[in-house]
Amino acid sequence: MEAKVLDSWVLAEFATPEALVSATQQMREKGFQGMDTYSPYPLHGGSEALGLPPSRVPFIALGGGLTGMVTALTMQTWMNTIDYPLNVGGRPLLSLPAWVPITFELSVLFAAFGIFFGLLGLSKLPQPYHPAFESEEFRSASTHGYWLSIPHPTGTDAADVKNQLTALGATHVTVVSGENE
Amino acid sequence: MTAMERYTGTPKLMVPAFGLGVVGLVLTAVGFFMNPEATSFSYLLGFTYWVGISVAALIMLCIFHTAKAKWPIVLRRAMETISIAVPVFAVLILALIPMMKYLYPWVDGSPLAAHIHGIEVEHLAHKKAHYLNLGFFAVRQVIYFAVWIFVSHRLYGWSTQQDDVGGLELTVKQRKFSPGALPFLALTITFAAFDWLMSLTPLWQSTIFGAYYFAGSFLAAFCVLTLATVRAQGKDLYGSLVKTSHLHNLGKLIFAFTAFWAYIGFSQFLLVWIANIPEEAPWYGLRMYGPWRSVSIVIFFGHFVLPFFTLLSRKLKEKPGTLAVAATYMLLMHAVDLYWLIWPAFSGEAGPTFHWTILTAFVGVGGVSVGYALFRARGRYTFPVKDPYIAESLRYVQP
Repeated sequence: MEAKVLDSWVLAEFATPEALVSATQQMREKGFQGMDTYSPYPLHGGSEALGLPPSRVPFIALGGGLTGMVTALTMQTWMNTIDYPLNVGGRPLLSLPAWVPITFELSVLFAAFGIFFGLLGLSKLPQPYHPAFESEEFRSASTHGYWLSIPHPTGTDAADVKNQLTALGATHVTVVSGENE
Repeated sequence: MTAMERYTGTPKLMVPAFGLGVVGLVLTAVGFFMNPEATSFSYLLGFTYWVGISVAALIMLCIFHTAKAKWPIVLRRAMETISIAVPVFAVLILALIPMMKYLYPWVDGSPLAAHIHGIEVEHLAHKKAHYLNLGFFAVRQVIYFAVWIFVSHRLYGWSTQQDDVGGLELTVKQRKFSPGALPFLALTITFAAFDWLMSLTPLWQSTIFGAYYFAGSFLAAFCVLTLATVRAQGKDLYGSLVKTSHLHNLGKLIFAFTAFWAYIGFSQFLLVWIANIPEEAPWYGLRMYGPWRSVSIVIFFGHFVLPFFTLLSRKLKEKPGTLAVAATYMLLMHAVDLYWLIWPAFSGEAGPTFHWTILTAFVGVGGVSVGYALFRARGRYTFPVKDPYIAESLRYVQP
C-alpha cells in the first residue's frame, strides 16, 4: 500500500448563515477552490456561493421512475398472461388499465429510491470519518455553527488564509490534517 | 416603494376583447336560429370553458389565502381580476334558457328524450327527476352564482381597499374568510359540473366528475395566470416585478395539476371500466371505441403524457417565452378535453364533428369575459401595493 499524503483544510466558523454565504462567495471570487460549507440545516444560497453545478439527482430520479414503470408493466404482463393466466370477470388477460395503479406506485417507489440512494451516493455518504472531525469546535456545525472549509497544502503556512477568513468575519479559525478517503 | 401607478385600462386590449366577444355572441345567436342543436352544445362548451377558469381562479385565491402564502402576493391582483369576471357569466348563463331542451334529455319535451327511452336503465331517469328538473336546476344556478359573486367581490373589495389604507387588518380578514369559503366553492363547482356537463347524459353518473371538471379548470386558470403574468409588461403592469422564481413556481403548478388532472381522470375511468355495469359503461364505450377513440388518444397523450415529460424541464419553466407556449398549449388541450366531454352527447356515434359556432361561442364568451375583467381592473393597481407581505413576495427566491 503506497504512502498517502495527508490532506489539510482550513476551517472557519461564522456566527450567522448570511456571514457564511457572503464569506464563501468572496473566498470563491478570490480563487479558492474545493471549498465546502457545513450548517445545522439547509443553507439558502449555499450552492450558489460555492458555485456548484446543477444537481444530478433529478436525472437519477427520472431514471428510477422510468425503471419502476418498465418493471411494473413487464412484471404484470408476464404474471397475467404467461405465468398465471386467470380470467377475471371476462376481462382480457392483457388489461392495461388495471395495471396502472401498480405501475404508478412502483414508479414513485423507484423514483424515491433513486433520490434517496442517488443523494447518498453523490454526497459520498455514509462517511463515518473525516479529518474535519478532529477539530473539537467543529461539532457546533450540527447544532448552531456555520462552517466553511478550504483545502490547504499540508505543511505550508496557513496564516494568510486564516487572516483573510478572520477579516471576512470568521469567529473561529483552525487547521486540520488527516487522511481523506 | 415603486413608481408603479394605477392601471389606466388601456383600451388596446379591452376594446378588441369586447368587440370580438360581441361579434362572436351575435354570430352564435345567428347560428342558434340556423341550427339550434349544434349551437346549444357549442355555447355550452364556450360557457363552461370560461366560467370554469374564473371560478377556479377564485378557488386558487382562497387556497393561497388559507395557506397564508406570501410568494404569490405579487400575482394576487391578477387572480382577483380573473375571479371578478364571474358576474358576466351570471348573465351569459341566461342564454341557456332556450337551449335547455336541445342540451338535456331530462327536460320535458326535449327532442333528445328518445335517447334514453327503451334502454335497460331508463327507470333511473324517473328516479333522478327530483333533482333534474327545470325549477330546481334554476334554483341551483342562482345559488352557485350567489356564492361565487359574493366570495369574489368580498375578497376583491378588501384587497383593493387595502391598496388605499394598507395595514394588517384587511389581510387578516381575507385570510379568515377564505378557508370558510372553500367548502362552498368546492360544493358549488362540483354540482355545477353535474348540472352543466354530467346531466347531458342523465343516466350516467360519476361522483368524481366535479373534481374532473375542477382539475381541468384549475389547470387552465394557472395557464391564464401565467400568460397574464408573462404578457403584463409595460407601464404600470406587474409583470416586470415577477422574478424567475415566481415563473418557475407557476410552471411547477401547471406541471402538478397536469398530473392531478390525469390522476382524477384515470380514477374516474378505472372504476367505470373495471365495474363494467350497464348504466356507467356506455359513456366510456362511446368514447373508447369507434370514431371518438382518436380524440381520447389525443387527450391521453396531448393532455398528459407530452406535457408531463416536457414540463419536467426546469429551464422550460423558468423562461417566460417557453412557459407561455406551454400554458397556451394546455389551454388548447383543456378546450379539447371539454369538447370530448360535451360533444359526444350531441353527435354520438357520428364521431367528432365540427360546427362553426364552436369557434364563435368560444370567442364570444371568452372575449366578453376577458373584456369585462379588464374593465373591472381599470383604476386599480395591478398588484396589491400595500399588502404587508408584498415586499417578501417581491424578493422571493425559491428554496
